Amino acid sequence: MSTLTWHEVGAYAIAAAIYLAHLVGLRRSAETAGKVMLGVGLALHFADIGVRCYHGVNPISSTPEAMSLAAFLIALVYLITSLRYPLTAVGAFAVPAVVALILLARLAPAEASVPAMGRLGQAHILLATLGVAVFAFAAALAIVYLFQDRSLKRKQLDRAETRGTPLETLDRLAHRCVSIGFPVFTLAIVTGAIWVARLGLLHGQGTLRPEYLIAVGTWVAFAVLIIARVGAGWRGRRAAWLTLGGFGGTALVVAAYFIRHAV
Amino acid sequence: MGGASIDLLLVGVSHRTAPVAVRERLAVEPDAVPTALAELTALAPVREAVMISTCNRVELYAAVDDADRAAAGLAEVLARRAGVAVGDLAEHLYQHRDAAAVRHLFRVASSLDSLVVGEPQILGQTKQAYEAAVQHGTAGAVLRTCFEEGAFRVARRVRRETAIARNPVSVSSVAVDFARQVVGDFALRHVLIVGAGKMSELAARTLRTHGATLTVINRTRARADELAKRFGAAVADWNDLRGALTAADIVIASTGAQRPVLTLELIKDVRKARRGRPLCLLDIGVPRDVDPSAGELADIYLFDIDALQHQASAHRAEREEEAAEAETVVEEELGRFVKRWRSRQLGPMVSALQAHFQTIARAEVQRVSGGVDEKEKKARFDLMESAIKKLLHLPMTALREADPDEVLSMVQAAQRLFSLSPVAAVPAEDALTVNAEKKAAGS
Repeated sequence: MSTLTWHEVGAYAIAAAIYLAHLVGLRRSAETAGKVMLGVGLALHFADIGVRCYHGVNPISSTPEAMSLAAFLIALVYLITSLRYPLTAVGAFAVPAVVALILLARLAPAEASVPAMGRLGQAHILLATLGVAVFAFAAALAIVYLFQDRSLKRKQLDRAETRGTPLETLDRLAHRCVSIGFPVFTLAIVTGAIWVARLGLLHGQGTLRPEYLIAVGTWVAFAVLIIARVGAGWRGRRAAWLTLGGFGGTALVVAAYFIRHAV
Repeated sequence: MGGASIDLLLVGVSHRTAPVAVRERLAVEPDAVPTALAELTALAPVREAVMISTCNRVELYAAVDDADRAAAGLAEVLARRAGVAVGDLAEHLYQHRDAAAVRHLFRVASSLDSLVVGEPQILGQTKQAYEAAVQHGTAGAVLRTCFEEGAFRVARRVRRETAIARNPVSVSSVAVDFARQVVGDFALRHVLIVGAGKMSELAARTLRTHGATLTVINRTRARADELAKRFGAAVADWNDLRGALTAADIVIASTGAQRPVLTLELIKDVRKARRGRPLCLLDIGVPRDVDPSAGELADIYLFDIDALQHQASAHRAEREEEAAEAETVVEEELGRFVKRWRSRQLGPMVSALQAHFQTIARAEVQRVSGGVDEKEKKARFDLMESAIKKLLHLPMTALREADPDEVLSMVQAAQRLFSLSPVAAVPAEDALTVNAEKKAAGS
């Protein structure tokens, strides 16, 4: 890992520690300090991506690079949203995930060979990365929703996670993320399917891998969530669990790609 | 502050020393503040005055020349305005001077002396009192320093660094806090008040101030109409209780009925119709108006009076704990304030001493520099100035670091030893000049 990457991981890790300390009640006012460190991490991360691009490694050229880009997008979406809403508790889940993603991406062995992607492949990876980042943020919101719901049911008003954004707002934000992520993810699946079909035709690589099925299953889960919310009023706890399930699916797909490329 | 006297005097009564019957007689309406301030500053030893008058305290802060005479004068003014004899008031009055007065002001502004520790209103009231004094020319350099550079700064720090005002301590505020954590902002939120009793009225008043839209529902329509009229609320028909519950975001129930009015079956029904929208139920009735098992349903958040009271008392205990931390902040700031004040007091004396030595040095250099060129003369002046600075450095440092009780006597000794004229504690300000002129004209 380059010095720049270590610095960016360091800044993110400090931000993650601040948010986690807030969650367990060790620190009272984490808002500003967390945002500042996250901003520093984002700036360094942006520079890191820029430097890699300069050296010919674009952020969608491989699974590890795409994971780093996803981490950048999660941090960016979180920072922008937290400027408007008090989302310190969400940061305790989102920012450590960012740190883990970057470490995995940067410490993984370099890919042996980069498959011939073409524009279609690049579009697929870019869309999938965007979708995963937005779903990851929705999942962090859903986790906090579930904790907060439990605290309010138990009448524990002073728990750190219940002192931030109201339940309804968390639910609305998570829904908004899923609504944005779903069409992006749909396009990613369509472009991915066409890309794989073409690769299969051209190079005989048309095997049906388990991650394709998981990706389709994930898409179905999010489709059900969106339709059920409009049609049957699925919100709150049920929606939060389904969001987590859907994100779990996308995480499995990413993990499958990562393991396949790393091993 | 001892020797480095600030000449600050506080005379007042508060909820700790006087019953409400006495406090209400002493309270000064905002319209009467200018005349009261004028009356205070018309007293001969009073140079500046600020008056804080709230339902829990009436306090006069004054910068004075003669603290004993001023204290008696301020007490007389208070007694006269209240229409009681000074003797009758004496047992309720307290007074603090100099550092003790500053400490009291810091504690008042930080809400440590309030009836409900940590309540936010007192800081605003203190600011208003100070601004009124500034507006009417009765707050000058001394009080400006105490309020602007002291009290307001300390209060801000206490709020920032302690959790003294973080959580609400009244039942109605806890209820509002709970509802806010479920539904967020109250603007455009629908609140249904079930029952038109006294508790409902209290809750309605609290929520109304937060911008919620109110609807009242009661078995006796006339009472619902009466309450709705007072708060500009809508009225729903009792037969449409299910519909009203479906439309609401927050429900406050306090009917006085012997059995739960909002049964589990009804809430289940309503929940289905709400299609996942969360419902916040605040049951402040005794006996309870909402079936307790309704709180276990998904998207239904129920808080009863016991839970609200328990939360409020937990917050009160927390404030007491935080108050100890806040007291530490006050003491720390008081120490800094006194130090700053002392160095300001010493400033004019240091300048006078330097000027005194420089005058002598210049005269001596002139005397022995006949026939010397300008360059050489300047070098001699510079040498003398440098020597004066070095000679004064040690005594000035000792003065700054001296025990507060010794400072005044040391300053007086320096003034006598070097025949310096006494210097003002703080630079003359316009407001002070105005006051002085006013007094001169008056006498």
